[in-house]
This record gives sequence, structure tokens and C-alpha cells, in this order.
Amino acid sequence: MGERTDLVKTENNVPERSREIPAVAPVVDIYENEDEILLYVDMPGVEKDDITLNIDNGKLSLGGVRYISGNGAALWEELVDVEYQRSFSVPQTIDVDKVSAEMQDGVLHLHLPKSEAAKPRQIEIKST
Amino acid sequence: MLMRLSDVDRMFNAMDLLQSRMNRMSSDFGRFRTASPGETAPYSSPATNLYDAGGHLEMKMEVPGISKEDLSIKVQGNYLEVSGKQKADKPEGYTPHRVERGLSSFTRSFTLPTEVDSSKVEAQLSKGLLTIVMPKSEAAQPKQIAIK
Repeated sequence: MGERTDLVKTENNVPERSREIPAVAPVVDIYENEDEILLYVDMPGVEKDDITLNIDNGKLSLGGVRYISGNGAALWEELVDVEYQRSFSVPQTIDVDKVSAEMQDGVLHLHLPKSEAAKPRQIEIKST
Repeated sequence: MLMRLSDVDRMFNAMDLLQSRMNRMSSDFGRFRTASPGETAPYSSPATNLYDAGGHLEMKMEVPGISKEDLSIKVQGNYLEVSGKQKADKPEGYTPHRVERGLSSFTRSFTLPTEVDSSKVEAQLSKGLLTIVMPKSEAAQPKQIAIK
């Protein structure tokens, strides 16, 4: 019987498997003008290097991990480590080579320029 | 006897499982602000963490899109008030397709567990995360007791 309790105890001492980070979809604003589509994505606490951006076959995937590191014992915790993830369908007319992004106060600004062919063109009416 | 013990073990294991599920649920519950995309909550206040590091208290607050000029922090005794105003960052000449990010101003106040020394409070804003370090006042500092 003593042996048995030992067994149970060791089982309980097995460390928990890697802590899972909850995945969350960040909130976005999407704007468009004649030249580009502009996305504002709230990703507070994400380091610039921790952001992944993929555009493939009309699908844009955004990802980023943020870690909250506090000193001392937590008295309350509403903020946790989070993995931001979201994907969008983007029109094929995006010029993938010219996509640019910058981070500002925890907000990702993502510029998706339209290719030349997709831009509206002013047609001149010729008078005869 | 052995049989019955293993039953008890199994029951406790089941309860542990339930407990861990509940913990996970409540941790989800805390993330009320980030958890729901598409839902604009203009009056929600930002999520915070508070830590007690012995000599000082440390608060973390999520304030994406707010510059440090637009944040104000007030401390008195054990009262802390943080307010912020989000500037309209809508770019000029663009048509909005989707607006989920709430444009809002907020004020959130806290009663801290101890008095803090308001002259030594420091705050730092980095990548949309505000960190406020508040040294505890003299009376609330932990003291080393020498054993005679």
C-alpha cells in the first residue's frame, strides 16, 4: 500500500506540459484609398521581431506573440501572454513586393499597395 | 482495499481535471477586452495587471494606440488613477471598410493594497504597454527583523 501512494505521488509531481498560450484575434481597422489598403492592428506588447506576416495566394496571415513580464507576486492579472492571430482575404491586385509595415504605440500599421493595373485611371474624354 | 483506494485516486484525478478546466475558464474570463474581435466596446477600460514586488508595486496596462502625451497618471496615498485619450488616428483620404478598434477615452482608478510614495512613482510606455512602478511608502516597506 505504501508503494501505491508513492506511485500516485510521483504521478502528481510530473511537471505540467508546456504552458499553452491562448490565441486571440486582434482588433483591426481596414481603410482603403486609391493607392493602397491600410490596416491598423492593435497588438499591444508585441515586439517588432515577434510579428509574422504572410501573404500567399490571396490570403494574408498576421501573427504575433506577446509576453507580459511582471516583477513580483501578481495581485491581479487581467493581462496574460497572448498569441495574436488573424487572417484576411486580400485581393490579388495587391503588389506583394511593396507591402510595408510599421509599429507605433503597439499598433501595427500595414500598407498594402495596389498594383498599377488595379489603380483607377482617369480617362480623358476627347472632343471630336 | 486496493480497489477502493484506486477508485478514490481516480475521483481525485477527475476533480483535478475539472479544477484545471475551471482555472482555464476563469483566465479566459479575465481577458474581456481582447477576447472578442468585431465587438467594439468604446466604454471598456484597459486591462491591467498588478504585482507586489516587496519594496514596490508594479502595474501593467494595455493602452494600444495611445501616445504618452495623451496619458495621465495621478497618485495619492493608496489611490491611483490613470486616464487616457485616444486620438483619432483615422488616416486622411481613406474610406473605412471595417472599424473595430474603439476610439475612446477612459479613466480607471484603483485602490492600491498599500500606500505608495507618490514622489518616486515612475511610468514607462513601451509598445502600447504602460508600466507604472510605485515604491511603497516608508510605513509599508517590508522590514527585516533581526533575531536576538
